[in-house]
Amino acid sequence: MSTLNTAERIQPRLDSTTILLRSVVVGLTLVTATIHAQLGGLMFMANAIGYTTLALAMVAPGPIGQVRWLVRIGLIGFAAATIGGWLLFGARFPLAYVDKAVEVVLIAAVTVELWRSDGGPLGVVRQARGLVGRLAGHIGGTPTARAAR
Amino acid sequence: MTQSIVRRAILLFASSLLIACTAATGAGGSPPPAPSGGAVITAQGIAFDRQQLEVPADRPFQLLFENREGAPHNVTIFDEAGQPLFVGEIFGGPGSRTYDVPAIPAGAHQFRCDVHPEMAGTVTAKS
Repeated sequence: MSTLNTAERIQPRLDSTTILLRSVVVGLTLVTATIHAQLGGLMFMANAIGYTTLALAMVAPGPIGQVRWLVRIGLIGFAAATIGGWLLFGARFPLAYVDKAVEVVLIAAVTVELWRSDGGPLGVVRQARGLVGRLAGHIGGTPTARAAR
Repeated sequence: MTQSIVRRAILLFASSLLIACTAATGAGGSPPPAPSGGAVITAQGIAFDRQQLEVPADRPFQLLFENREGAPHNVTIFDEAGQPLFVGEIFGGPGSRTYDVPAIPAGAHQFRCDVHPEMAGTVTAKS
């Protein structure tokens, strides 16, 4: 790991497994976005827009690609919150159960990708600390930023 | 290359999603007649066509529910404590169901769609 340069650590090589896994994640995200869009109403539409935005962020290049780990965390959190909301307040009907199954598999797929690409929770913590350090550095020479450097 | 294809697929998907959402308005027209001694209600545009229903008290009745859009809806009636007196089947439209509602006590009760709780109203059971 220590032999990898910064660019390789930020954006892992796109091998066939990574591409397949990413395709599964994006596909499942778009499936649940479609289901929520079909339900209609403000809340479900907001949910569909959220999922579609996260699907785009999963393949967006440039600066977003450098914080893909954050997008993965966001996607896991969003899907978990959606499942939690349904468990607490949601109606029970066949399409809802199908959607929840899709979201559970989605969380599992994103978790696998997070492990492969970011090195699991410890890797995420390291990247988060790095991001905080860089942000603090941009804000301007705080002790936190100096320590991060 | 692969990311470019995926991005194009997402853009295509987003466009289809927008078209699907704007097209899912369902058919218009006047509501169907209520069953004898019962009531009728229609769902369209994520809203019921009425917020007040009158039904007979203390005897079973039929509630004709017409769902005029693709989104799934139902009708559930609650007592004052928020406990369901009747839960109608959730289904996507366009289509209709005739619910056989058991006897409910006289008075004003709340009804709503379980999928979209913002779709709600009052059902008044009269002797």
